[in-house]
Amino acid sequence: MNDNFTPKITLFHCINTVPEIGGFSLTGQDNFELQTVKLACSSMVKDVFLLRAFEAGSDAVIVLVCPEGQCRYVEGNIRAKKRVAWVRNLLDEIGLGGRRLSLSNISAGNNVAASQIIQNVLKDLEDLGPNPAV
Amino acid sequence: MIVGEQKPILEIKEIIAPYKKILILGCGTCVKTCFAGGEDEVAVLASALRLACKKDGKEIEIEEFTVERQCEDEFIQESAPAISRNDGVLSLACGAGVQAIARRFAKSPVLPGVNTMFIGVLEKQGVFTEECSGCGNCRLDIFGGICPVTRCAKKLLNGPCGGSQNGKCEVNPETDCAWQMIIERLGILGQMDNLRIYVPPKNWQTSLSGGPRKLVREDHMI
Ligand code: SF4
Ligand code: SF4
Repeated sequence: MNDNFTPKITLFHCINTVPEIGGFSLTGQDNFELQTVKLACSSMVKDVFLLRAFEAGSDAVIVLVCPEGQCRYVEGNIRAKKRVAWVRNLLDEIGLGGRRLSLSNISAGNNVAASQIIQNVLKDLEDLGPNPAV
Repeated sequence: MIVGEQKPILEIKEIIAPYKKILILGCGTCVKTCFAGGEDEVAVLASALRLACKKDGKEIEIEEFTVERQCEDEFIQESAPAISRNDGVLSLACGAGVQAIARRFAKSPVLPGVNTMFIGVLEKQGVFTEECSGCGNCRLDIFGGICPVTRCAKKLLNGPCGGSQNGKCEVNPETDCAWQMIIERLGILGQMDNLRIYVPPKNWQTSLSGGPRKLVREDHMI
């Protein structure tokens, strides 16, 4: 990976999945910028928000949602999953790479899992490199 | 409503390639309902195109605007300032909307961003089905409110053909047999006798086969 590359990640999360951001332990991984967007329900993550995060310079976008069957609003996380899949296709079509966008189900307040997901995305970005549309 | 779907983004990218400043013009009626060209789709497409062009190092300015209905001059009017600021318009309306814009703004290239498909209904969330072919001589009265012209693969007016199985069409087992549905519905309505009515061959002159049609309402003309 380019030494000058400081990955920028935008993380959309449902407040029920991650009530408070912080407390992530990302050992040896402080060389990145994390922008978080708190949503009342993951279903509020519209396609355009995901794309605009890339327009704003994100190298990767993560969406954290509750496990399937555990959405407080019944199907919010399913809607988020479908929308993320749609935008991933779009990103592939325009050559930005759908892999830059991911959705993960984690149980409420599981910051360890959230940290691991961020670590994995950072690892992926070593391959993918910076957002080519910046 | 008119049902259509947005063209693939790579095709749209090619269509707008000659232009430096483009207006993406949405329509807030039919194409909004089928997720092809409302305000949300305009925003998504604009964002995706900006990313795609930036990635390719191509400079382009994209403006977004949506009118309530692109097929009516009164609503189109609102887009005039935005149209004059741009080199071209990518319309996300149906083909009628695209042509209404082209007619109104003679000097602006107007490009289609949607493939217009059919007159249909929202069958369930996310599923749209074709229900009417605009034949110009509606006989839903005798067919129990189900159109065989559109929904029967053979367009039989005196059906059924006899080939349907388990209520599905023999041409495409994914499709419900229109005549099965007509018979069931006539049964519910107590109008089975309608099946004895001989429906003569259709005069297709009232349909598009007779050339483009025009409706004139003298009482509304000034
Ligand atoms: S322009 Fe087309 S999509 Fe828009 S309201 Fe008119 S008929 Fe419907
Ligand atoms: S009979 Fe003609 S007008 Fe009536 S629903 Fe069928 S195609 Fe449309």
